[in-house]
Amino acid sequence: MSSRGGGRGAPRGRGGGQANDRGEKKKRESILNLAQYVDKSIRVKFMGGREVTGTLKGYDQLLNLVMDDVIEEFENGMPTRSLGLVVLRGPNVVLISPTDGSAEIANPFTSEQ
Amino acid sequence: MLPLSLLNAAQGKPMLVELKNGVTFNGHLVDCDQFMNVTLREVYQTSADGERFWKMPEMFIKGNIIKYFRIADSILDQAMAEQEKQRAAGRQRGGGRGGGRGGARGGGEGGRGGGRGGPPGRGGPPMRGAANGRGGGPGRGGPPGGGGGRGGRGAPRQ
Repeated sequence: MSSRGGGRGAPRGRGGGQANDRGEKKKRESILNLAQYVDKSIRVKFMGGREVTGTLKGYDQLLNLVMDDVIEEFENGMPTRSLGLVVLRGPNVVLISPTDGSAEIANPFTSEQ
Repeated sequence: MLPLSLLNAAQGKPMLVELKNGVTFNGHLVDCDQFMNVTLREVYQTSADGERFWKMPEMFIKGNIIKYFRIADSILDQAMAEQEKQRAAGRQRGGGRGGGRGGARGGGEGGRGGGRGGPPGRGGPPMRGAANGRGGGPGRGGPPGGGGGRGGRGAPRQ
């Protein structure tokens, strides 16, 4: 047992040091404060390219989301479909952005590129 | 220069993020974490074919679908300077990092000592010194004779 304990202890010591160095400087919390989006309309993209918009009702640290009035949208112009109240699984979520202030626009890089 | 160091140094700076599916985002980096999850502000999204564009006030992107970040060269210089500062500060401190490494090495020595079964005196003190914060190490180093089996286990790990 002691040998095992030692073996585990050493790497932990290293990792812990780094975490502490960072932990002091930066908060360990998520870099995304989802509380600001609760009861707001957000757009969520998933691995595989699917995309939904809806009202955020709840969330957890793993980015699992509870959303209401969810509408699944497709990039290729297929008609949307309504999903209602859903739990979105965090590991499949790849992008979250608020719907407010988002819009399709003309090429903003025409002069640069 | 570590990737995450550069990314941290780029906080607040404009950058381009391309996802694995080819979609790109131009925006100012707000924050990032150890998984390379990022939050961006004032984002212009470009579709993978480069034909369509969207503007978004802010967004969160998971790190595991990001292909790369394009960052201004000037930020690399800043990050290098910052890294040098941190290294200098780390040397001055010495305690934290040195202790960590010493611990790992001490563990290795303890393992060898156990295998030989020879020098308990040698094996003991370095372990204690190194593993002050831990308590796991001394258990190994303490009984070198009895710990022959354990030493044997420890050796292949190296």
